[in-house]
Amino acid sequence: MLAVAGALFARRALFLTRLVRAGKPTERLDDIPGRVKNEATIVLGQRKLFQRLLPGLMHALIFWGFLVLFPTIVMALLAAVNRDWSLPWLGSQGWFMALVDVFILCVLAGIALAVWIRKVVRPRRFDGSHLGEADLILGMIALVVLTLLGWHAARIAAGLNEWPASASFLSNAVANVIPAPRVAERVLDWAHVLVILTFLVYLPYSKHLHIATAAVNVFFSRTRRPGRLEPLRFDLPDDELRLGVSTVGDLTWKEMVDSFSCTECGRCQDVCPAYATGKVLSPKLVIMGIRDQLFAEGQTLLAGGDLSPIVGNGVPEEMVWDCVTCGACVHECPVSIEHIDHIVDLRRDLVMMQSSFPQEAESMLRDVERVGNPWGKPQGDRASWTADLGVRVLEEGEEPPDVLYWVGCAAAYDERARKAAESTAKLLQRAGVDFAILGAREACTGDPARRMGNEYVFQAYAEQNVETLNEARVTKIVASCPHCLNTLANEYPDFGGRYEVMHHTQLLAELVHEGKLAPAAGEGEITYHDSCYLARHNDVRAEPRELVAAVGKPVEMTRSGKRTFCCGAGGAHMWMEERGTPISEERVREAADTGAETLAVACPFCTVMLDDGVRSTGKQLRVVDVSTLLVESLEE
Amino acid sequence: MKILVAVKRVPITGGKMVLTEDAQAIQTRHLGFTISPHEECGVEEAVRIVEAQGGEVVVLTLGPAEAEEQLRESMALGADRAIHLVSDEEWDAQATASALLEAIRVEQPFDLLVFGNESADAGNYQVGIRIAYALGLPVVTGLKGLTVLDGRARCEQEVTGGRDVYDVPLPAVVTVREGLNLPRYPSVPAKLRANRKPVDARPVERPPSKLEKLRLVVPEGQGKQAEILGRGAEAAPAVVEVMQRLGVA
Amino acid sequence: MSVLVLIEPNDELSLQAVTLGRILDSDVHGLSVEPAQAPVDVLHVAELGGTYAPAAWAAATVQLVERLAPSAVVAPGSDRGNDVLAHVAARLDLPMAANVTEVRGEEVTRQRWGGTLLEEARLHADLKLLSAAPFAFAASDDASRARVETFVPNFTPADTAVRVVESISASTGGVSLADAKVVVSGGRGVGSSEGFAILEELAALLEAAVGCSRVVTSAGWRPHTDQVGQTGTKVSPDLYIACGISGATQHIAGCKGAKKLLAINADPEATIFGHADYAVIGDLHEIVPAISAELRKARAT
Repeated sequence: MLAVAGALFARRALFLTRLVRAGKPTERLDDIPGRVKNEATIVLGQRKLFQRLLPGLMHALIFWGFLVLFPTIVMALLAAVNRDWSLPWLGSQGWFMALVDVFILCVLAGIALAVWIRKVVRPRRFDGSHLGEADLILGMIALVVLTLLGWHAARIAAGLNEWPASASFLSNAVANVIPAPRVAERVLDWAHVLVILTFLVYLPYSKHLHIATAAVNVFFSRTRRPGRLEPLRFDLPDDELRLGVSTVGDLTWKEMVDSFSCTECGRCQDVCPAYATGKVLSPKLVIMGIRDQLFAEGQTLLAGGDLSPIVGNGVPEEMVWDCVTCGACVHECPVSIEHIDHIVDLRRDLVMMQSSFPQEAESMLRDVERVGNPWGKPQGDRASWTADLGVRVLEEGEEPPDVLYWVGCAAAYDERARKAAESTAKLLQRAGVDFAILGAREACTGDPARRMGNEYVFQAYAEQNVETLNEARVTKIVASCPHCLNTLANEYPDFGGRYEVMHHTQLLAELVHEGKLAPAAGEGEITYHDSCYLARHNDVRAEPRELVAAVGKPVEMTRSGKRTFCCGAGGAHMWMEERGTPISEERVREAADTGAETLAVACPFCTVMLDDGVRSTGKQLRVVDVSTLLVESLEE
Repeated sequence: MKILVAVKRVPITGGKMVLTEDAQAIQTRHLGFTISPHEECGVEEAVRIVEAQGGEVVVLTLGPAEAEEQLRESMALGADRAIHLVSDEEWDAQATASALLEAIRVEQPFDLLVFGNESADAGNYQVGIRIAYALGLPVVTGLKGLTVLDGRARCEQEVTGGRDVYDVPLPAVVTVREGLNLPRYPSVPAKLRANRKPVDARPVERPPSKLEKLRLVVPEGQGKQAEILGRGAEAAPAVVEVMQRLGVA
Repeated sequence: MSVLVLIEPNDELSLQAVTLGRILDSDVHGLSVEPAQAPVDVLHVAELGGTYAPAAWAAATVQLVERLAPSAVVAPGSDRGNDVLAHVAARLDLPMAANVTEVRGEEVTRQRWGGTLLEEARLHADLKLLSAAPFAFAASDDASRARVETFVPNFTPADTAVRVVESISASTGGVSLADAKVVVSGGRGVGSSEGFAILEELAALLEAAVGCSRVVTSAGWRPHTDQVGQTGTKVSPDLYIACGISGATQHIAGCKGAKKLLAINADPEATIFGHADYAVIGDLHEIVPAISAELRKARAT
């Protein structure tokens, strides 16, 4: 029986392994210490699961329980072959069996908690998940520990225990009610083994596969630079080009392991701003869709047959375009699935291979490509906002300043975003910082093109900007826009651009610390909105808050810091039409609910989107960049 | 079907005209460039015809070395071959037509020759027509609609109140307008293939110009001082008053 | 010497071309291929023997030129005007200056970039072929009746081969963009195709046509037929209302024929304000409905 079960399990495991080995390559062996740390904290420590306390506890109890109970599985298998066999030494340790009993209770408590969550609380995050399958698994887990308990109890009752019975208090107590102990012991051992083997065979066909793959997935997930997308290569012959993902044959091995690790918990769906505002996108359903298609077409893939496109089959097209790349899903996922990679890879194929994308974004792509910025306005106008400010424009061949201020397209061309640049320039001048801007030589970082999936246009601009910066011998950059910051800091190193990049709030906070800027404390209540690209993708949360606290009374929204809720502009959505309730309005309502009159931001996109949201909801909120608040406080 | 499309590299000027010091050209240092819009639609149309009926699209330009970019853009849209007459000078329409003609004669016979109705920058409205006369071919201009079938071209021109339709036998010359079609967004493999294709480039000497450009001038009226009627919705009454004064309210 | 002006019936641009003709010479002849009224001295009407054929008109022009030996042929700066004049230039292998705004002896000033840039050039030819830039000259309103002479030119088959075989009427119920007295136009600032509803509302109240910028047609919010610009429709209304339009030169080229331009834009630095007669700064989504409301109010009283 073991052989049969083993063979069935092995066959499926082999199939899955072959699939993963057929996956396209990706580099995931940097920062081994960080990866090991993640294994310890996320897998063993269940850190991400505990981002939600009760469900985290539920899972931790079961997971840790099974870590402890694992040797008993081996013991059960051994005893199934020969009643007197057990694990040497461990099998006779009373303390171990006591631990086993404790954890049997833990697992049962975990199961009870799980049942309560699923049947009583019924959270919305399970919409779309296979609940029946989950119930089955819970049932099987319960059966595993109950048969284990029964078997241990029977073993004690039959006098076969290798360990001191009194140590395993629970098994000992249950032993009293076991009828026909010698028979019961065999029956229960075999029952226990049967359940385990059935589970083993069932495992790789179900979402419970995660117990094998999650630890692997966590190890190979990003440890650094979460905001960095992996570059593609264009210098390959036509038949070797991989420009995104069209079929399951284009998935990287990491994307495959991602899909095998999904437990359908729905935490990602819960925090997705698109899903929350009535769009089609659910990150959970994207991963499940990819997984199901991979399972269905796996044999075909391995045999080299024709595969069907993922978009339109496993994943509806609207889901691909609804995404704002905010990363809330990635942050929330307990098994470190990286949903954004999947979505951007699907976009890459749609945009670069099939030229299929929302039409309103086409002029943005053409403008970035031909003119150098997504607004399509003349590059020569980039420094117009500095008109009366006397900001230095760094010309070719000149000595570089201490700090290059990367203004970004939004501040140069959008009247609402412009204010932050004006404020920042004034503050830097006030503090005596030696800075300059590139003016017309600053081209779009390429972020909107890249997030839309047009890696080709992105790389052209990455190379151009790196050349400009390197020729100018720039070493330190301050950027007002978190998207620019993300690309400059995390993505340009792939193209030969290595700079020290900070956000303007970081530099301003430093200047305040150094006493070069002395803001006056204020009484007004200010709620600060974390930009996704700043707080989540780049871990900048403290410095903007320091500045806000220096000029007013900070009030936090519920969804803040790493769990911030997007403004809706990411993923090139600044240039796409939005269906359903605007994400920005959802966020504005949350801000208004704090009672604050001022909504502080640190990103030009957030500025525009949230200001739009304020106008359309009619809330009494002033949307203003942190730098402008600082300037105003200095001028009082 | 063998189709010729002539294209021109033009700057994307944006909001203001800024001239070089010698007033001979627009300052293009930070400007992007594109195929003149009417012509881009011409390339797209030619490619569509050849996709449907088989054949070849040859794209031709007279321009500086950088104009190769527009030839590659045309090939990314689907043109098969590119011919580049290289010259840094500015040529008037008559001279341009002669230069293009020489290159065209070598490649003849074409079933269809496609030109932009006028180039976005110089706006001379002549090149296609001059070439048609030189080749002795019928020409229809300003097309917003074109259907090529069985050796004939049904041509639609927008006029006040609707469209005029012409029907000419091929070979013929047509000049087209933006709005004829919506040019495709080329796939990246198409761009990569286009980048690898050879371009037949040869230098050309500009003859003396009969419409001799002396200088360029930015017209007055840029930098008007608009009368601010107000801000936000409160300006509505002032706006209506102006409308009444103008007799349109 | 004399001057020959090509005349289209009921066409303001032809009347403007006559004005240019008069500047060049006091003896102005006109040539049209349909019966027309024009303030010229002699109006020659050529019989085409069928529907409109540009090459035929050009052939007639060349034959008349041989007879009259004028110093210049002036065409209106319309589509047909430039078209026919180019045919004439090709036939005679002479240079042609399109969209001329000024003539000083051998030198002309002509429009480039739809009129947002001017070129001063020397025309090396004994016979000057010029088209008059639209609205660069006042329409000649000299009411004197011309002496009309009809003639039948000698056409070769090639001259009449390309002629109109069918005329399709525009099926749109609304006001045509090219003819409208008022145009309400929207750009990127409108935000979406639904956003145009408030512009359509205002246009309905003013019996205006609705136009848009190139960004809008690229985004698919409005059809290309609504596009105002250098490569779209060129309009010449009494009032052009530009809502959320930044003012790129290629758009200005399309609307500079407007007598008055009202710009509505949230960005006080927008380029359009440099071309506008009137400005309202702010959000068009608030301003446009407010104007509609104010209009209704004014009419109710």
